Amino acid sequence: MSTIDLTLQIWRQKNSDSLGNLQTYTLTGISTDMSFLEMLDVLNEKLTKEGKDPVAFDHDCREGICGMCGSVINGIAHGPEKETTLCQLHMRNFKTGDILVVEPFRSRAFPIRKDLIVDRSAFDRIIQSGGYVSVNTGGTPDGNAIPIPAETAELAMDAAACIGCGACVAACPNGAAMLFTSAKISQLCLLPQGKVERKARALAMVKIMDEEGFGNCSNERECEAVCPKGISIRNIARMNREFIAAALFEG
Amino acid sequence: MWFVRFVSSSIGKKVTMALSGLMLLLFLCSHAAGNATIYMSRAVFQGYADELHSHPLIVIVFSTGLFLVFLAHISLGLLLFLQNRQAGASRYTVSTRVVTNSLASETMPYTGLCILLFVLIHVFGFAFGPTGEMISDTVKRLLGHFFYGLFYLVAFAALALHLSHGFWSMLQTFGVNHPRYNKMINKLTYIVPLFFLLLFGGIVLYFMTGRGASF
Ligand code: HEM
Ligand code: SF4
Ligand code: FES
Repeated sequence: MSTIDLTLQIWRQKNSDSLGNLQTYTLTGISTDMSFLEMLDVLNEKLTKEGKDPVAFDHDCREGICGMCGSVINGIAHGPEKETTLCQLHMRNFKTGDILVVEPFRSRAFPIRKDLIVDRSAFDRIIQSGGYVSVNTGGTPDGNAIPIPAETAELAMDAAACIGCGACVAACPNGAAMLFTSAKISQLCLLPQGKVERKARALAMVKIMDEEGFGNCSNERECEAVCPKGISIRNIARMNREFIAAALFEG
Repeated sequence: MWFVRFVSSSIGKKVTMALSGLMLLLFLCSHAAGNATIYMSRAVFQGYADELHSHPLIVIVFSTGLFLVFLAHISLGLLLFLQNRQAGASRYTVSTRVVTNSLASETMPYTGLCILLFVLIHVFGFAFGPTGEMISDTVKRLLGHFFYGLFYLVAFAALALHLSHGFWSMLQTFGVNHPRYNKMINKLTYIVPLFFLLLFGGIVLYFMTGRGASF
């Protein structure tokens, strides 16, 4: 088992109202088989034993599917490995002597709650405004009653892979939420079940996205470069088409 | 009103940006075609200019339209730039761009303002130049100055950089992004700016180097 020694500079902030700052910690003997979050667990055990406040960070599944985890490591959301969430990022990506600056996902629409924990409920409000398909209750429909071409199903599935982690917003120079919103809009508008409400959905979700204080997209492509699920900006192009059509023919 | 709501939404602003950019690009094409007559001969170029100005109504309608499009593109571009600076800029202690080759996209407002400076100087030099002088003589006189020509070349380089992000960005904003066409679009993002750089730059070099002395 190989181990490494690291210097960490972690953003510490008591609550939303206080000013935060970077604090430096050193860790020795970190196994390269650990995930980034397990490394933070080691740090927190150490801090707890010393009677200090452990670093607060979000996490849940620790297998890359829930979208809870995420921080900015040396300026890159979810760290240096492509298409990987922070919980799936292994310490073998780093070497002894590395200085890692760990900051929360920052955006005007994501207020910091404590240390590395940010409030991403703005995403929930975007979903609530139309990121669903209205289904009246009744008997269970037959799974094969509505045929869907394989290619369409694949494209919808690619969009549905978004776990709502917020890395796209964190990485965007403008703090825009276009990749997230476009993934949700695409996932539904591609499928027959979602086509019925597509215009109202596009108008409502973009409206809330703007109101929540996200910035304007300027096609910088940083979002797709850091997205742990490889969501493509082709979805943003699709959302633009959906929104333009909806505004012209529905608005 | 739906139109106001559309234009004030984030995507609506982008679409307006892209539409005005497209119109500027179309103007650039027609301007390039007209100026290409310089490569043919003085007589052809002077003929083109005289023909154009023998229809004052067309000139007035198009130049007013162009001015309004410019105004929309610049003011909206600056508004987006300022709004985005508030929403995003310099919020990390360490910030890293993952996308390589982000020079053109990061410098859009700056290359844009270079173009504005150029357009002002260009219009005052050529359109509101000395009356009574043949336009071919104005071109020869102004572009014959070394520093005047150099300024033009620098401005054309800024235009090429602006277009190298702008052309692709415009298509993405319109929703044109499909694996079938993306290879071609990627090539065009180099070809379109290079085309204008060579065509306009060539004219300046022709006079700057003195080869156009007999023009
Ligand atoms: C005169 C000064 C100009 C200024 C200040 C300016 C500024 C800008 C800015 C800030 C953007 C936004 C970038 C973004 O959000 O992605 C932009 C985009 C663009 N510009 Fe300009 N620009 C100018 C002139 C021009 C000219 C002369 C052309 C064409 C010949 C042009 C073509 C474009 C195109 C095609 C876009 C892409 C629109 C999009 O993002 O969808 N611009 N410009
Ligand atoms: S699009 Fe990617 S980066 Fe953005 S929230 Fe979804 S999974 Fe995270
Ligand atoms: S903890 Fe669930 S995705 Fe990382």
